[in-house]
This record gives sequence, C-alpha cells and structure tokens, in this order.
Amino acid sequence: MEIARERGAGAAATGPRSEWIVRIGTGFPIRFAGLSILLVLAVITPGFTAAPSLLSLINTGSLIGCVAVGMTFITLSGNIMSFSLGATTGVAAIVCAALSGFGAVPALASAIAVAIVVSAAQGFIIGYFRANPIIVSIAALALIHGAAEFATGSKTIYAAENVLDFLKAKVGGIPLAGLVFLASVVVGQVIQSYTQFGQRVMMVGSNLRAAIAAGVQTWRTVTAVYALAGLFAGLAGILIAGRYGAGTMEYGEGYDYSAIAGVLVGGTAIAGGEGSVSRSFFGVVVIASVTVMLLLRGFETEYQYLFIGLIVLAAVLLQGRLRA
Amino acid sequence: MKFLRQLLGNATQRVFALFFILSAAFVALALPAGLPLNWETAFSVLQNFSTLGPVALGLGLTMLVREFDISFAGMFGLGGCVAVLVGATSPALGIAAAVAVGLLGGAAQGVFMTRLRLSSVAVTLGGLLTFGGIAYVLTGNRNVPLGNLELAMSMNAPILEVFSIRSLVAWALFIVAAVVVGYTRTGRDMIATGSDVQASVLAGVRTEAIIIGVFGASGTLSALAGAMLSYSLSTASPAGLSDVSVPAVAAVILGGASLSGGTGRPLGIAAGVLVLCLLRTGLTTVGVPPYVHELVTGAILLAFAIGDGADLMRRLTDVERFRSFRLRAPGPRSS
Repeated sequence: MEIARERGAGAAATGPRSEWIVRIGTGFPIRFAGLSILLVLAVITPGFTAAPSLLSLINTGSLIGCVAVGMTFITLSGNIMSFSLGATTGVAAIVCAALSGFGAVPALASAIAVAIVVSAAQGFIIGYFRANPIIVSIAALALIHGAAEFATGSKTIYAAENVLDFLKAKVGGIPLAGLVFLASVVVGQVIQSYTQFGQRVMMVGSNLRAAIAAGVQTWRTVTAVYALAGLFAGLAGILIAGRYGAGTMEYGEGYDYSAIAGVLVGGTAIAGGEGSVSRSFFGVVVIASVTVMLLLRGFETEYQYLFIGLIVLAAVLLQGRLRA
Repeated sequence: MKFLRQLLGNATQRVFALFFILSAAFVALALPAGLPLNWETAFSVLQNFSTLGPVALGLGLTMLVREFDISFAGMFGLGGCVAVLVGATSPALGIAAAVAVGLLGGAAQGVFMTRLRLSSVAVTLGGLLTFGGIAYVLTGNRNVPLGNLELAMSMNAPILEVFSIRSLVAWALFIVAAVVVGYTRTGRDMIATGSDVQASVLAGVRTEAIIIGVFGASGTLSALAGAMLSYSLSTASPAGLSDVSVPAVAAVILGGASLSGGTGRPLGIAAGVLVLCLLRTGLTTVGVPPYVHELVTGAILLAFAIGDGADLMRRLTDVERFRSFRLRAPGPRSS
C-alpha cells in the first residue's frame, strides 16, 4: 500500500512493553465499556426490546453485516476498502431478480457467481499488478454502474412471483437474513483463523514485502480475498432481492460505507494485518443498534448519516491515538 | 521526431496533446455529420470544467504530496449546502462560509493525520462520511432551494462567448495553483514532500505544515466548487448536485498525478479535466446514452490504475521471459 504507509521511520518502533500497554489499553476495556454503555442505552430506550424493533435491528444489521464480513478480508489484506462492494451487491440483486424466472437455484447461483467474478477481477488487477485498490475499486464502480445501466436501462427489475419469497422466511422466529449473517460470520472467522489462506491474508496485510520474500504468491491471496468479498456481497444482494422482490443498483448504494464503518468500529486496523471477522460482527451490531435507537428516540434519518460519519472518524482517530 | 519526443516527455504537455487530438477528432466527427458545433459547445465544456476542475485540483494537490483526499465528494456537497443556507440574504457571505468550512474541515483532517500519523485515506474516509452527515443534518435531508434566479443567471451568463464567472474562477484557481507549485518555495516543498518525506524532513522542509496546508486547500476548493454549482442551479442537495467522485479521480490521474507522489502539475490536471469534460460533451452531442460515458471513464481509470501498478513492468517482462522460454527452451537465454 503506497498511500497507507506510516509517516516517519519511528512510528513502527514500539517496544514490547508499550505494545503490551497498547493491547490492554485498547482492546478489551474500551470495547467492554462501549458495549456496556450501548447495552444500558438500549435497555432504557423505550420499545427497543420489543419484537418489531429487534426485527428491524436484525434486518438492517444482517445485510450490512454480510458485506462487512467480505470487507473485513479486504481491510485485513492491507487493501483498506472497496468502493465497489455496494455496487456488487446491487448487481447481485439485479441478476437474482432477473433470473428468478428460471427458478430459485439458478437465480441465486448466478447472482453469487457474478458477484464473485466482478470482485475477483478487481482483486486480480490489484494483486497481480499491485495496482492501487482505491483507484481500481472506483474504476470498477463506474464500470459496474455503466454496465448495469446498459443492461437494465436504469429500470427496476422485478422478480418472478413467489420464487424468492422463501428468503423472507423465519426460522424459529429469526429472519433468514439474520441466520445467513451469523453463518457468514462463523464461516468467515473459521477461514480467517483456521486456514492457510487466512494466515496468508494476515501476512499480506501486515507486511506485503515480507510475504513476497517468504514466497507467498501474493496475487493469488489478494484475488481470493476479493473473490470472497464478492461472495459475501452477493449473499447480501440475494437477501435484498428476496426482501424487495426486485433488484436495482439503488438497493446496493451505501452498503460499502456502512460495511467499512462496521469493520472500523469493530476495531480492525485500517492499515491491515490486525483485526477479525468477529470484531466486525460487533461493529455491525453496534451500528445497527444505534441506528434503531436513534429511530426510536425520534431522530430523523439524517442523524444516522452524521452518527455513522462521526463514529467512523472516531474509530480511525482512536486507532491512531493508541498507536502513536 | 526529436521534437515530438520532447513534447510528449512532459506529462502536462502530453495531456494537452491528448486534449487537442480529442478536440480535432470531435470536430472531424461532428462536422460531416452536421452536428451542432458552435461556441455553445465550448461553453458547455467549460461549464463542466468549472464544477469538476477545482475538485480535481484539490485532489491532485493532495496526490502531489503523496496523500489521497477521498473526502472531496462530501465537502463538495457540504459546501453547496452551507452556501445556500447562509447565502440566502448575502451570496458573498454564503461563499465565504462555504470556503471557511472547507478550509477548516480540510485542515483539521491534515492535523489529525500528521499528529496521529494516520493514513490520509483512513482519516478522509471518516471526513467523507462526517461532512456528508453534517450536510444531511443541516438541510434536514431535503433539497434546499435558494430562490435567487438572478444570481443563478449571473453565475451562468456567458462572458466572451465561452466563459462564465464560474469557469473564470476555476481557471484563476488553476493559474494560482500552477504559480504556487511551479514558482514558489512552498511549491518546491510540496513536490519534495511528495517525492521523499524523510529526505524532505532532513532538508528542513516542514512537511507537516505542507500536508495540513494542502488538505486545507483541497477542502476549500471542493467546498467552493460545490457552492458555485449550488448558486448556478439555485439549489443545494446534501447528496451533492453532481456525481464528481469518479470523474475527479479520473481527471487527476489522466492529468499526470500518480499515487507514488511528486507528480501531477496543476495545468496537467486542468488538461485532464478538459479531456473528460470534452469527452462528456462530445459523447452527448454524438447522441450516445449516458452509460457509455460512465464506461469510458471507468475504463480510462482502470487503464491508468494498471499502468501505475508497482508490479506492471515486472509482470510484462515476466510474460516476455515466459514466452521466450517456451519458444526456445534449451536456447542460450536459459540462464
């Protein structure tokens, strides 16, 4: 990462003692305090524990959450974030809705496949040529939007009747979307912690040159990271298509920002190499809970935007403060 | 030939050459087809230029010092909202307020990244979302009309056939930036900071002040562009009145800036913006649907991203080696 480098040579030179202090000082107490405050606020917010608001919490959180699981891998691998994951989600929703006439299985499979290919292609360019991830994802955003507009004529694509309705089902009272999100977190965390690929992601993210020197074919890892991100964004796209019974690029708008907000609030380092999928889970839960709380307390949507902005800024600054 | 090589060796001249080739191609295509080709076409290119130009200039300056300001789209929207909300009675006051917000917001980000040694992408990502959030809260998530049509008319009134107040301001900003970067010590310090931070610090350049200043300038330019566009459309929208993010990045990269810092001069960026605006006007005049423009912009950006890739040359030579290995496997090159 050319632009995410640390300024000055002294920045990296933290001794073992200070590192220990940083770990104790950052990780647990701050996160524990934050979650406790949030829990208290949630409980004293009237109506928060009622079924409708919990359902809305799960529904908002799950869609952002799936994208956030994918985004976590991109951030961990040292590529900061992708500006095109929201668009990828939108494309998956469109493909899913458009092909629903052929039955649910082909629709879902094609949606996921398209999302993986779109995202993996960016990963290949970023990994193989070491092109800048920000620029590549912005270019991809324009290309995806252009292609989608060409294909759909900017119209909403409606799904065939009842084909995707099973995506709105509830299992044991919990919406399917919530279960898909939980499964994504578990699968993502297992991939990160227990596979060789997961280790390589952390290696590439913490020190690209060392990973190259150690013989890692970094472009393969990066391509796989983006393919995985595409897979999770595709899942979110399918759930969106199921919820609205339709697909348009607008449905995917903003998901990339909400997802990176969840990743950063969870405490994954923006510079890569440190963090986890489960942290992002908590980050998304925090953001979704606060969104619901703001709604319940009568704040309009615009305050959610401001709040997400401030919390991301705070998370970034806190990371710097703790490192400096 | 030598002349040509000299001409194309300079990034800025290269972009201008591209602009003239594109203009010529446009004229050559438009004339036989009987398409409208008059001062209005040039005027429309320059109107686009006045919106995109300052934003791209601000982004380009941050890339010159080897940083990257992605908050520009948020500041562009916020600048327009502040200008319309404050400027209902006095337009000058509205512009001043927008500029102040841009300067403070940008400089604050610069302070955060230098003091806390944070990457500019991280801080400006927070800035992008925060500025956008402030714009939504200030406007109450609505489009705010300014209701001053006289002002809008005067902002868009043609001057000398092709210019307007807006585009003249944009050009003035580019010229000031070009003079500062090309002929002042601050400019040299900026280029030094972007080329090698540590060497610059050793040489006595106050790199932190440079970075804070550049981000202040970037915020100011984006906010001003947003304010001028809001005045000329007599409305403000928290989501931004024009989607500048992709074209601004494309224009800057086209103008010769690189993420490895130290390159990209203001006039090169101006030419990059002109190329994109001409492309947009040209494609619209020829009558292709808008998505073509988006695809072309994306393709240009992707091509430049690959061209700027750190491993591009290695990969290309790898292919070469692979091919020669295949063709003459036991040959003399198998060292």
